[in-house]
Amino acid sequence: MNLKKFFATICAASLLIAGCGSDNAAKVDETSQEAIIKLGMITHLNASEKQMEEYFFKVQEKSRAKVLNHVPKFYDNLNLMIMGIESSNVDQISVYECVANYLMANNNKFEVAKADWISGLEDNFCFAVKHEDTALTADLNKILDEMKSDGSLNKMIDEYIINVDKGKTPPAIELPKFDGAETIKIGVTGDLPPLDFVDTDGKPAGFNTALLAEIAKRLNKNIEIIQVESGARAAALNSDQIDVVFWSIVPVSDVFPADVDKPEGIDLSKAYFKDNITHLKLKE
Amino acid sequence: MEFSEVIYKIFLKDGGWLTILNGLWVTVQISALSLLLGTLFGSLLCFFRMSNFAPLRIFAQIYISIIRGSPVLMLLMLLFYGVFARTGISPVIVAVITFSMHTAAHVAELLRSALMALDKGQVEAARTLGFSKIQAFKLVTLPQLVRIAKPVYQSTIVNLIQWTSVIGYVTITDLTRVINNIASRTMQPMITITGGMIIYLAISYLVYGIFHWTDGRRAQ
Repeated sequence: MNLKKFFATICAASLLIAGCGSDNAAKVDETSQEAIIKLGMITHLNASEKQMEEYFFKVQEKSRAKVLNHVPKFYDNLNLMIMGIESSNVDQISVYECVANYLMANNNKFEVAKADWISGLEDNFCFAVKHEDTALTADLNKILDEMKSDGSLNKMIDEYIINVDKGKTPPAIELPKFDGAETIKIGVTGDLPPLDFVDTDGKPAGFNTALLAEIAKRLNKNIEIIQVESGARAAALNSDQIDVVFWSIVPVSDVFPADVDKPEGIDLSKAYFKDNITHLKLKE
Repeated sequence: MEFSEVIYKIFLKDGGWLTILNGLWVTVQISALSLLLGTLFGSLLCFFRMSNFAPLRIFAQIYISIIRGSPVLMLLMLLFYGVFARTGISPVIVAVITFSMHTAAHVAELLRSALMALDKGQVEAARTLGFSKIQAFKLVTLPQLVRIAKPVYQSTIVNLIQWTSVIGYVTITDLTRVINNIASRTMQPMITITGGMIIYLAISYLVYGIFHWTDGRRAQ
């Protein structure tokens, strides 16, 4: 008897749930002609998800896209975002072009998703330094300027980011050591290949080691690379566990304010790299 | 790309498995040290908690309720980025301190519950028969205490090993961090994280196995 009752309740409950579900789905279809696309994005260093969402809708509005059908969903890092799209929590993911190329070369499940409104959307990559460390920021800016004018920065970007062989990882560059010189601690996440990643031997490699080795050489100072979880980067910087956060984003757009992702009391260096934003989706 | 090829690329290529072993070693070291210190401190805490001297008892009560009621990641970040921020203490030591503190609270409670499960009359009887306090503890209380506390202690150890997976937040490269790095580099997070989970599962079963083995030896 009890069993019968139990099954009856379950059936009733499932009918109820199914009924509600189909109701909701019908409503969504009526209100928007184009289907909503859930878009995965990486949480920023400082800008809150709500802020980012507001700007995000502004960019869509400004573009010629008639329907605001991209809704952002935020992930802590690239890994989680890829898992999100693989389990269809989101339909598309927003990544940098170099990351997208690397991703497609290593995981053949992905392809580029077309979205007109993102064309021309770019982000600058900078160092984040504490506001008190004005000397360090000035040094970094000076070296970046020098490297830009003598072309070594562009060469590095070509070698370690743009022209990475398909399916390969760029090599690690050894950091120079100066006895008795002071040490700058640089926090990296290891979450954004080919810019920032950790090689099979457990040590950071690729563009970040190349750039940091060059900076160490020009500064005549030791550089120590410390890997920090991306969620703990701001805390690490504020508590002096690291002196520099290796990548911080400054959007290049008239909609986004330049300091949208700048935490209080922190200065950003000049940009060392600029990349377009691309959307990826799973192959059908 | 074939599945076996992906597995090879993720876990074996260019000595990647050595890096995983290094990460595993860091996890095991921190867990073992924290377990040792935590058990010692936890026993002391349990002694405080059961004592008749009110200040000690209240201190233990407050300590246990705060530590058991807060997430260990918060405690870890607070200690590393707050309390020990500018002291230059290595993150591994901060992690060991944090996890010892955390384990101690749990061990204190599990010991207390085991002590409360014991029959007080037995100790009284032993005392009447002329055993000293220490003898009564060693010969009557301790053997039963070990038997009652063992299953809970074993799950505390397994929990501790899993809690240590957050130490990537304080710049330590443990097993979880290594797995995350590999996932980022190979862009295959699903498979890599499943592999990492299997490794954690294997350690847990190793712990269960050791306990099971010691049970079997006692029975003989």
